[in-house]
Amino acid sequence: MSASEQELFQRLSDAVVEMDEDESVAVANEVVERGIDAYRAIEQGLSAGMERAGQLFDEEEYFIPELLMCSDAMYAGMDVLKPHLRSDDVAEKRKVVIGVVEGDTHDIGKNLVKIMLETSGFAVTDLGRDIPPARFVETAKEIGADIIALSTLMTTTMEGMGAVVRQLSEEGIRDRFKVIVGGGPISQGFADRIGADGYAVNAADAIRLARALVAPAEAAA
Amino acid sequence: MRRDQMTPLERLAAYGAGAPIDRLPCVPIVGNTAARVIGVKVGDFRGNGALIAEAQVAAYRLFGYDTIRIFTDLYTQSEAMGAKVTYPEDETAFLAAPAIDDLGDIDRLRPADPHRDGYLPQHLEAMRRAVEQVGNEVAVTGAVTCPFTNASFLVGADKLARLMMRAPEKVHHLCELSLQTNIAYAGAIIDAGCTPSLTDAMSSMSVISPRQFREFSFPYLKRLIDYIHGRGKSVTLHICGKTAGIWESMVEAGADCLSIDNDADLGEVRLAVGDRVRLMGNVHPSEVMLQGIPDAVRRATLSCLAQAKDSPKGFIVASGCSLPTETPFANIHAMLDTVRAAGWPAKC
Repeated sequence: MSASEQELFQRLSDAVVEMDEDESVAVANEVVERGIDAYRAIEQGLSAGMERAGQLFDEEEYFIPELLMCSDAMYAGMDVLKPHLRSDDVAEKRKVVIGVVEGDTHDIGKNLVKIMLETSGFAVTDLGRDIPPARFVETAKEIGADIIALSTLMTTTMEGMGAVVRQLSEEGIRDRFKVIVGGGPISQGFADRIGADGYAVNAADAIRLARALVAPAEAAA
Repeated sequence: MRRDQMTPLERLAAYGAGAPIDRLPCVPIVGNTAARVIGVKVGDFRGNGALIAEAQVAAYRLFGYDTIRIFTDLYTQSEAMGAKVTYPEDETAFLAAPAIDDLGDIDRLRPADPHRDGYLPQHLEAMRRAVEQVGNEVAVTGAVTCPFTNASFLVGADKLARLMMRAPEKVHHLCELSLQTNIAYAGAIIDAGCTPSLTDAMSSMSVISPRQFREFSFPYLKRLIDYIHGRGKSVTLHICGKTAGIWESMVEAGADCLSIDNDADLGEVRLAVGDRVRLMGNVHPSEVMLQGIPDAVRRATLSCLAQAKDSPKGFIVASGCSLPTETPFANIHAMLDTVRAAGWPAKC
């Protein structure tokens, strides 16, 4: 790799960390003009920057407002680069259906997990908020999801998570999907009780969990 | 099981004066669980002050805790300013849409009139009725959603977070409007014979940084607390989630009692600010109170006592946040019974 390529990737990464949307777009345009591989620019530039932002969040240097601004910068650069991906770049990604369960509209946590999942190379279908259990199941079947990710901040809506797992079992397709849960009132104990495959305490943890859950299948493939 | 020897008002007055008491004060923060006590649906509370009062008074009489809090959800004031709230038939209400979609409409927002807008009049009615029925023995409080959190319900949490970076003056404007609503409502709560109880979910370090708290939340919180102090009432301030980095600021804002979440450490908060403010917390509302068995509640309560029972400015055994609606009664009884058995000075 030439030094200048490396330099551009670093600038993309920095633009994300520094929440600089304009810089992200400008550098992404430069990448395109110079015919540099868009896929690597996303991986080694934008996604790498978002991962650094995630670390800063873990270290309580960044908080939710900063993380949202970083993701805005990342997506702005992504919008420039995406049309220039070669078709063989678009490898078969692991698929996640994500949403906030019915009766709750707190979606900042879900949005963060979605951003970090996309950064980590998952293809994410975001159903949004206040989603009935059946819609998670239908969508997961439709797109052939690997993971169903459920979020809630409210204790009143926790039970909707159990309903998703039950419906999968009733339809005899429980083993086709990994179900992961997270949010303020959720705990490992609750995840175990409803028969989920995993619980994540925050967005970074959700990524580790998602990777671990799809890893064995990957090794076997 | 030991019976209480004092009324909550007697207990808190004596405790505050350093006189002997029968047990430490204890407040499992009962919200919509009160509906279960009188066998009605949570949705029936919508706009029905008489029913809210009936349920909250019945819950107080059943469990014997030390404060009644008139609270159904966090959105009452933002709804009165135009936010859309969804009321499920039998679950806690939730925010369907913020008061404005388009920031261009920000100038259309006005502070709410507590005697006219939304369901604020009905909540005030609930407070008056509760005071009529049991005000001679227990303090009745009215929940106030603080400026920064209320502001997030006016434009949406994502949008507010981005505005903090892109257009901070708009955030200040939204907090100022929310503060005006808060002050008017807090005044009406005091007129009703109650004490405002402050809740500020979004000011948490689980959401914003301590620096952002200082810039966007603290100034308004302080003015609200100054107002309440000016009316002769003391202030309990609850901020959800992680708060270690803002305890000093919460004290500086004037709070007399910090109610901390289970995501914060009671032992640490005691060391940090226990010499200046009363503390309240922090049994886990869902993992222990909702999903645990009474023995788990007993152990968690004893652990709280061990960490903070000798806190210099006093300690109120409480849940870390409002209890989930379906919290088993046995668990609420278990918290109170553990505190009764510990007696005073508390043994654990």
